[in-house]
Amino acid sequence: MTSLHAPAPELAARFERLARTELSRGARIAHVLLALVASALTIVVASLWLTEPSLPLRTSIAFALMTAIGLSWVVYSVWVLSARRVMFARQRVVAGRVAVTFCGVFSLGCVTLAAATDARGAWPAFAMSLALLTIAIGLWRRAESAHASLLARRDALERTLAGGAR
Amino acid sequence: MSHPDHADESSRIADELLAIRCQLGEPDAFDALIARWHRPLWLYVRRMTGHDQEAEDLLQEIWLRVIRGIAKLRDGSRLRGWLFGIARRVLMDRLRRRYVAPPLDDLDAVDVAADVDPIDREADLAALDLALDTLPLAERDLLTLFYLRDLSLAELADALSVPVGTVKSRLFRARNLLRAAIQERNDR
Repeated sequence: MTSLHAPAPELAARFERLARTELSRGARIAHVLLALVASALTIVVASLWLTEPSLPLRTSIAFALMTAIGLSWVVYSVWVLSARRVMFARQRVVAGRVAVTFCGVFSLGCVTLAAATDARGAWPAFAMSLALLTIAIGLWRRAESAHASLLARRDALERTLAGGAR
Repeated sequence: MSHPDHADESSRIADELLAIRCQLGEPDAFDALIARWHRPLWLYVRRMTGHDQEAEDLLQEIWLRVIRGIAKLRDGSRLRGWLFGIARRVLMDRLRRRYVAPPLDDLDAVDVAADVDPIDREADLAALDLALDTLPLAERDLLTLFYLRDLSLAELADALSVPVGTVKSRLFRARNLLRAAIQERNDR
């Protein structure tokens, strides 16, 4: 087909650079940490807000605003990780382990605080941190399972191709 | 010389392997994906736009969507249709902004075989190359993917997000238009 134009030789290299930039780990790690820290802070603030008796209206509004801001950071970071800086199977496994560790430490902190002090918000915060830990464990196990399936399929395909090449 | 069916199967397996390596997050896999599919996608987009610069812009958008979307590709063996589907959507988004496109009037799954006429393929390709630019955008798009990029009916169905029967009916109509365009050229 004589009318077809071949791509410029440097174009593929440009897109390979684009791919490497898109795949950089830094932004993914930052957004995973943002989601975790924002979740923990939101739980702490919401627990204080919901358990402190007879808060002045202004303080209640301030707590509500801080809770809303924390939730919006969680939503934003999850959106980035699902639509812009998408995580691949290996990265999901690593993120899952980080999330389980973070949530475990956070839960431990909450239960220690609840047992050692009479802070009203500590037990609700512990309950919510356990819910967060459960979600993190679920996501981690799902990521491990998906990763294992992909590895098994990759190995099978490589064997098939190697067999066909002989 | 390897059998064409075997070559197709090997190509399908290689595509699936590449898709899975990308889904695992192997950086080298993305370089391999671009090396394998850059030229076919370029040729499709370049033909549809007719401009190098516009094709480059569109291809950048296509690769961004591929990198961001490949983790969600469920069946890696359908990589080819999925890639051209993304390319087509990016292209149509751009063209839609530029033109008021006529709606695609889908003929329902008329049971028409796409390969009903045993037209000599070489002659068909030569005539296609000359007459393609005179066709409406939808038919040009379909015939470019089918003849010049060699997508199968199933891959076309993936790329266009329509059932295979609809692809057949659209191909039937596009081939008739192409035939008329070639006839018109011959009558001049």
